[in-house]
Amino acid sequence: MAISLIFSILFSLCVGISAGVNRTAEKILIPILDVFQSIPILSFFPLALFIFIGIHPIIGPEIAAIFLIFTSQVWNIAFGVYEAIKLIPPEILEASRSLGLGKIRKLVDLYIPAAFPKIASNLPASWANGLYFLVACEIITIGESKWRLLGIGTLSTEFMLSGRILEFWISLGAVLIAVVIMNLFLFIPLMRLSERYKFEIYATEVPRVWIEKVTRPIGEAFRRAFASLSSPRYEAAASSLAPLTAKLKKYRKPVLALVASICLIMILHGLSSSSSLEEFAALIKGFEKLGLVDPLIMIGFSLSRVAAAIVIGLAWVIPVTILMHEKRVLEKILVPTFQVLASLPATLLIPLIVKLVLDLKLTLEVGSIALILLGTQWYLFFFISGALRDIPREEEELCMALKITGLKKLRHLYLPRALPSLVMGCLVAMGGGWNTLVVAERIVLDHFTWEVENPGIGKALSEAVSLGDLSAIVTVTIWMAGFIVVLNRLFWRRLYEKAAEFVGAAV
Amino acid sequence: MKATAEIAEKMLEPLLRLRDISFSYLMRKGERLQVFEKLSLSVSYAEFLGIAGPSGCGKSTLLRVMAGLLKPENGEVLFRGKPLREPTPRISMMFQNPALFPWYTVLENVMLALIHERELTREEKEERVKVFLDMVGLIGFETAYPSELSGGMRQRVALARALVSQPDLLLMDEPFSNLDPLTAISLRREIETLWQNQSLPPSSVVMVSHDVEELVELADRIIVLTKRPVKIAGIIEIKLERPRSRRSKEFYEYVDEIYTLLS
Repeated sequence: MAISLIFSILFSLCVGISAGVNRTAEKILIPILDVFQSIPILSFFPLALFIFIGIHPIIGPEIAAIFLIFTSQVWNIAFGVYEAIKLIPPEILEASRSLGLGKIRKLVDLYIPAAFPKIASNLPASWANGLYFLVACEIITIGESKWRLLGIGTLSTEFMLSGRILEFWISLGAVLIAVVIMNLFLFIPLMRLSERYKFEIYATEVPRVWIEKVTRPIGEAFRRAFASLSSPRYEAAASSLAPLTAKLKKYRKPVLALVASICLIMILHGLSSSSSLEEFAALIKGFEKLGLVDPLIMIGFSLSRVAAAIVIGLAWVIPVTILMHEKRVLEKILVPTFQVLASLPATLLIPLIVKLVLDLKLTLEVGSIALILLGTQWYLFFFISGALRDIPREEEELCMALKITGLKKLRHLYLPRALPSLVMGCLVAMGGGWNTLVVAERIVLDHFTWEVENPGIGKALSEAVSLGDLSAIVTVTIWMAGFIVVLNRLFWRRLYEKAAEFVGAAV
Repeated sequence: MKATAEIAEKMLEPLLRLRDISFSYLMRKGERLQVFEKLSLSVSYAEFLGIAGPSGCGKSTLLRVMAGLLKPENGEVLFRGKPLREPTPRISMMFQNPALFPWYTVLENVMLALIHERELTREEKEERVKVFLDMVGLIGFETAYPSELSGGMRQRVALARALVSQPDLLLMDEPFSNLDPLTAISLRREIETLWQNQSLPPSSVVMVSHDVEELVELADRIIVLTKRPVKIAGIIEIKLERPRSRRSKEFYEYVDEIYTLLS
């Protein structure tokens, strides 16, 4: 978990910075990231498991798990870094050019610190995401073979299945405590520290929690660690690196050519091997088997489930965030509480929801929508509350002076101001919703399976995974990812641009 | 003006010279917006040059070409007789907004301008930074972060950073426009005093401003530009004793003359 998080940060820095700095890299990397982000992670996993077990049968599953968690954590950090680099004020860039900062100095003195607040604020979400899929992938069944990884996910599922409800709650509590500790001792100090790294002069204050007094020393320790970066020792290292980079620069073309040719050879090798040809044929067959109408019906049902979850989410998020915005006291209590709740992996709650649905004799559609809601609502909450916090104080004061309150204030101030973030939040929440589908539409707990009555793309994927039908996994994944990409491009992005235009913000 | 014999000799050759430079921006619709067309001007040694022009005419672009931040499409930029290809520590720049790194302290921000001085130890660099911080009246604020300073103090940090590398030429892009009038007055005084002091950098200053009175107060020579494509509408030498009083009749004659050229 921690390993994959460190990998994620390093990867994000590389990709985000190169995309933010270099126009050509931006044009190649960002669409790729966009597509990868849209592919449901759980459908990645069986593929990864196949590949990594092929490499080594014992450590393979572990590597595959790390890989899955990595893919669940990396995208939002990578996009955050990219965004942060893009938002560096042009005068700062010019200042560092006219000061003659070299490439390494720019990286250390400008790009990494500039990306730091985004990394810090995305860490909790990534951590929660990682936990979510950690639980999901600890027990993954492919056909007959079953790979078990030791962890909290396996443990809590076992407790629930064997009816040891008390132990189940204890394991849930343990995760909760772990989450609280992570927040207090790592995420909150890091976020506090990152406030200094923001360019806005009047950066909005993140509400402080009383308990932070306890954790302040930790923040200070981090600060000292960062400060020591600019110590003479580091400067010596930087200057000793200078000739190396000069050399690299000199041989850049041959090195690039070498890397490109290695990649090409690997791809050619992969294509020419007979197995991949067979796989390709299987893939085609998979598409034929699936047809054209079935997947569209499945996507339609799934889309309505996700949309229902988002509507329910908005129905509670909008009033709560506005209430919170007007009563600052509530914010101090709710934001940290929700932060903890949000980082509690929803997958851990699956057994609970199933039990609830079965006890109340509801249809499983309700259970699946509830599960999707768990995977989407926090995005909506954090996006919208962030937008409300950024409302200029003058506009608030104007409303006060003109006595614009209640619904009128909602219509004239809150909704227009929150609109771009609301759309962005829906986009991201929908992404989260698609991801949850695999576990929400067909719930597999050990020997038991519950599935929704109507068709669904997540159900199809889950079935393919448990049958170990690789070609079906790939085809269903392609259908789903393709649809998500099209939906994002044709609908959400355009809506976002419209919304941003509406409030006069730069897109 | 700094009128030592040595400098007077050098004045035959300008410190910075723009020869027939052209520059255009590519607009979003694919059109080209011609900013300059064959523009020539020069900055002499020990000169305080002011540049005035209608807003949006390309004053800032001109300054960035002088700094080596932008490359002209045609023509050449000669600094001390040699072509200027990239930014050099010998030319420093002050922006409208101080452009400080929020994650570094005042001391660290100013020290960034010394990264190319490899022969200096860290202690020597710190000493030098402190000398310049003292000069701009910021001693005692070395460990403060930019977010803890007022706008005027931030601009002083930017000034210290621009001077610490001991440049020959200081370029200023409307450095006082974001400051309150009182702070602007004291900072203007400080820059004038620094520039008049012969033992201290910089030799020459180029200041872009839309505040005509500010230019008449500080500059030896003011170049007035026209709208796009930019041409030189006129060059005015200000022959007033320093420090100049804004109340005198002569002062206002210069101001009126420039306004006539601008409209």
